[in-house]
Amino acid sequence: MTLMNCILLASALMAIGVYGLATRKQAVAMLLSVELMANSANILFASFAHFRGGPTGQVFVLFALAITVAEVAVGLALVMLLYRRHGDTALDLASEARQ
Amino acid sequence: MNAWLQVFSLDFAVAALALVVLALDAFLRIPGRVLGWLTAGVLASVLVASFFVDTSGVVPHGVYESGAWVVFFKRLFLVAGLLGVMGSIDWLEERTPRRQAEYYALMLFSLTGMMLVPGARDWVLLLVAFELMGIPLYVLAAWAKTDGPATEPKLGPEAGLKLFVTGVASSAFTLFGLALVIGETGSTALSALPVQLTPLHTTGMLMVIGGLGFKLGAVPFHMWVPDTYQGAPTPFVAFLSVAPKAGGLAAFSVVMLSGWAQHVAVWGPALAVIAGASMVVGNVFALPQTDARRLLGFSGVAQIGAVLLAIAANTQEGLAMALFFISTYVFTNLGAFLVVHAAAQSSGGHEVSMLAGLSRRSPWLGAALLVFLLSLAGIPFVVGFWAKLFVFLAAWRAGLSGLVILAVVVAVLGLFYYLSVARSTFMAEGTSSEPIRAGLGVRLSIVVCLLAVVGLGLWPRPLVDEATRAASAFMQKH
Repeated sequence: MTLMNCILLASALMAIGVYGLATRKQAVAMLLSVELMANSANILFASFAHFRGGPTGQVFVLFALAITVAEVAVGLALVMLLYRRHGDTALDLASEARQ
Repeated sequence: MNAWLQVFSLDFAVAALALVVLALDAFLRIPGRVLGWLTAGVLASVLVASFFVDTSGVVPHGVYESGAWVVFFKRLFLVAGLLGVMGSIDWLEERTPRRQAEYYALMLFSLTGMMLVPGARDWVLLLVAFELMGIPLYVLAAWAKTDGPATEPKLGPEAGLKLFVTGVASSAFTLFGLALVIGETGSTALSALPVQLTPLHTTGMLMVIGGLGFKLGAVPFHMWVPDTYQGAPTPFVAFLSVAPKAGGLAAFSVVMLSGWAQHVAVWGPALAVIAGASMVVGNVFALPQTDARRLLGFSGVAQIGAVLLAIAANTQEGLAMALFFISTYVFTNLGAFLVVHAAAQSSGGHEVSMLAGLSRRSPWLGAALLVFLLSLAGIPFVVGFWAKLFVFLAAWRAGLSGLVILAVVVAVLGLFYYLSVARSTFMAEGTSSEPIRAGLGVRLSIVVCLLAVVGLGLWPRPLVDEATRAASAFMQKH
């Protein structure tokens, strides 16, 4: 296990998250993809803390987790709202040309 | 007085007000309209207090620095919050009478986060403040939920989710970039960057720039803008379209100019590309829009491009003019959205065609809209003209002549759609001729915006001086 491996792992997770966000049409799947992206950052913080020493990275992960949890709580509520409204959780992000 | 209390007094006042509003609603069942005016009144008093209370200082460990720079932004946020709250009072009373206190509380929490951003000098504080600003906005965007007249398409949940997904994805980007930057430097201080950059640093910096660009609605993080503006409550959009952008600008300048100033060679070109792309995309996509909110949304993307242009100049003048621009933008855009809101309340739709005959139905609303549109288009003698001129001058002097030429060319495109809205307001025959009734709060907000746009258009000097003072206070320290 080296730092470079961890960076590669985190980057791969980030890429999977971005791919999921771009291709999935279901709001729940998009939420999961975003979670993957956020967690890839946490892995990166933790691995830097592990290999470079110092508490900075680990403390930052705690803050990042708290923020992400708050975000997801709101996100799930919004997905529920969308489901109640449409009976479906499909969300089209790329409808910017719509009029 | 305790040093901490003194530095954070304004922010604490706003946060405490949020809790008080919630408590008054929960325990005393105070009517929502009263809570709204109470919120507006206290925000106004905090704004006045900011002129008398000295909040400058540095908290221990240097994670937060307050001074002229921070106070400038705090006043701007308070003004935007005040106008936004006043504009929402009647809409809330009418549409969601049973949950009003939460709306004000969320708005105040978001405001607290914004007010903490410009003074943050540590990544942890900056990130938490930025998210405190952002998370309540996701909820507020979906506020209308599913209630309202049956004729109106209910886009609330969609609006909230789009803002949410883009927002969370961009904060994940920021976090990833930060992990790289902080991992390499081993410190969370904003100023901690070595003279020699590693590839990891550079990647991290670029990711952070991208992530922060979201709140500004800059290209390529702008796709939430039109849909959210269309689906969210219009009085809230009036607030959303200005205050978080000023917050994003504060975060941008704090990161770029205090921490990363010496590495302008890395982020300068990236920012210049984002600025140019925002101006082009915003203006081009605004042209075919028929919904006034979407049109203003794309126009906002273009306006933000101009702000980023000033930041990319990386000079004190550029920063000062970015501050001036965003301050005038707060009044202009907030006012324009509130006029659209008032007109839509009476005519039942936000399409540009629904504005037809507005000048006959309510001459003063028509005149106000015309002034705001002229200001957004940058026509002389309203404040938008000075804002654009000063930003372009600052960027030109910093050597960004190519971008300035591009900006001027696409600004001409802007004339088309701004003036087409104005034409529909003044020339076209409307279907109805009954006068428009707008609530007191909305009228008051529009009048304040109108006075600011016209007054500063005739005499921009005081605000320019204030912005210059704030920018020089910021630049001298770094």
